[in-house]
Amino acid sequence: METSVPSSPSASSQSIDTIISGFEHLGYVTDHSLATAIYLVTQLRKPLLVEGHAGLGKTEVAKVLAAFLATRLIRLQCYEGLDVSSAVYEWNYQKQLLAIKIQEPSKQTVEEKEKHIFSREFLLERPLLQSILVEDASPVLLIDEIDRADEAFEAFLLELLSDFQVTIPELGTVHAKHVPFVILTSNRSRELGDALKRRCLYQWIDYPDLEKEMRIVRTRFPRIEQQLAGQVVQFVQFVRKLPLSKPPGIAETLDCAQALMALGKHRLDPQAVEETLSCVSKSVEDSAKIKSAGLERILSLPTGQ
Amino acid sequence: MTMPGSNVFMEGSDDAPRTMVAFCRYARERGLTGGVQVTLGVLRATTCLGMAERETLRSGLRSVMCSSKDEWDLFDEIFETFWHPAESRLSRRSRRQESRAMDHSDRNRSPLMSGAVGESQAEDQGSQEVAGASEHERLRKADFSTLRQDDLAALEKIALRLLGQMSTRLSRRHRMTVSRGRLDLRRTIRHSILRGGEPIDLRYYKRKPQPNRLVILLDISGSMSPYSLFLVRFVYALQKHFKQVNTFLFSTHLIEITHLLRARHLPEALRSLSQLATGWSGGTKIGASLSDFNTLHARKLCRADTVFLILSDGWDTGEPAMLAAELAAVRQRVHKLIWLNPLLGLADYQPLTRGMSAALPHVDVFAPAHNLESLMALERHL
Repeated sequence: METSVPSSPSASSQSIDTIISGFEHLGYVTDHSLATAIYLVTQLRKPLLVEGHAGLGKTEVAKVLAAFLATRLIRLQCYEGLDVSSAVYEWNYQKQLLAIKIQEPSKQTVEEKEKHIFSREFLLERPLLQSILVEDASPVLLIDEIDRADEAFEAFLLELLSDFQVTIPELGTVHAKHVPFVILTSNRSRELGDALKRRCLYQWIDYPDLEKEMRIVRTRFPRIEQQLAGQVVQFVQFVRKLPLSKPPGIAETLDCAQALMALGKHRLDPQAVEETLSCVSKSVEDSAKIKSAGLERILSLPTGQ
Repeated sequence: MTMPGSNVFMEGSDDAPRTMVAFCRYARERGLTGGVQVTLGVLRATTCLGMAERETLRSGLRSVMCSSKDEWDLFDEIFETFWHPAESRLSRRSRRQESRAMDHSDRNRSPLMSGAVGESQAEDQGSQEVAGASEHERLRKADFSTLRQDDLAALEKIALRLLGQMSTRLSRRHRMTVSRGRLDLRRTIRHSILRGGEPIDLRYYKRKPQPNRLVILLDISGSMSPYSLFLVRFVYALQKHFKQVNTFLFSTHLIEITHLLRARHLPEALRSLSQLATGWSGGTKIGASLSDFNTLHARKLCRADTVFLILSDGWDTGEPAMLAAELAAVRQRVHKLIWLNPLLGLADYQPLTRGMSAALPHVDVFAPAHNLESLMALERHL
């Protein structure tokens, strides 16, 4: 694993600007901090661990990065009980059984038969192996919600992320031809192991401020009316300050804006809030809290955008 | 924008690595983790990014040097103070914290920790090991509030041993209830080759039994003090034997002590607890503490397989309605809600306090916790 020669410092700030504008072109508003981290991912070839609350576009980072680099995105969704056979590889048992039957009359020795049914032909490649076997260029490997996988898997991942090789007992060791760009995301539902964290670059994504969220809404929905966009963003920013069990993320803001546009609203009034509340709040208790929080005040604010 | 403090190291390029190494050390002293690997990462990042652009350098170093939200929040201040030592807010703050810590240690130690088994006592093990069978039996049934200080150590030993048995029994029980398991095709095929490809010997695999997660809330308000002394030890033992346990103390507010109980030896854990526990006397606000739990920790800790354990006598000075609502919210998230009440061991006790009667409808298991035997009975519910 050899990294490219670091470019000169002045080139770096140029590259970071390119990342910012490139991402924006692809519909993802990023800031200097995240762009720098992504630049370092491409230069240092270290995995990037992105943490933050739900709905803030963590997964999106990897998708957009793949589009930006014009390379393949390989995604591994983690869940509790995720094991090697669904993350790395598995043998195609049905096919193996068939092959054994077909070979029955042949005069092959047991060793030859064994070699045949444990060849690449019978191997089902799961995301992690796929990312290593890619032939043409470094793919982006997204390991989504790593906090949901258990610690044993995390430990396995550690080995993979440092050497980018996989050992299959029947086949031998496979090395990566092109080291993937790795993005890990976590909702912090549990603390990750120190060893894994130490191997990664780190990025915390927080709720966006008013200005950034406005830019996100406008980038995603170029045709949204100015006043409506301002009201929606202000409304969501206000809601986020309430003590809710699930504060709305950017995904919710976008849902809400899209819903209002679909309903043909031009401005956000109490009735419109009522109709689109399900976009912002995901529980009965939260809805009640939002309704009783003095919405009139926030709705009557001038939209200064 | 060029960095105001940049002249420190821009004079000769040789100084840049030295400055960065110094910065890493500076950051480590102020709470960032990460060793030589991180320092090397910093040097490589600096070569890529250059040092002229202050914001770029800041973002880059932050990505390389931090590995959690806490560190992320710390970083900016460390970065600022390193390049501008004159306006070091951080050092002033840390000095303030130091003086505060001094206050704490001067204050009376909380009742929770009094009689902590010191190292001297722990070394003096000979006498405790020869405790006879009848003595053993007496200690298992003795109410914690009537125990003498010198019984404590003996009780502790018994508790640790019993809990060891309890956790292995638990795992064995799990294994036996697991169904036949699933066909392991991979190994079946492997072995079928020996039989000319006919899968005659079937191979199975079973899911490894996973013990439940455990969340413990321990009441250490004044009314609990005869019991909390021992219950802390019980919780310590639980945490030692069960893998996924999170422990909190509460009286008027909630505080997590999982990391403190992770200490290898009990006296160590108790010492760090006593440094932490201040102002524990005063009323009990179970509802408010549970509300803290629900907003801050529930999302992280409560899952479908979590067992939620409250150790409290139910004397609540807060609103019973709030207690009921918060408890209902917890109940919705977890597998089982257990309330252990030491007072339930008293012959004439009835759970009639306002708090307790508000709580009962939401509790799955309501059991006593006044002596070792009652605690061991907990096994049935885990």
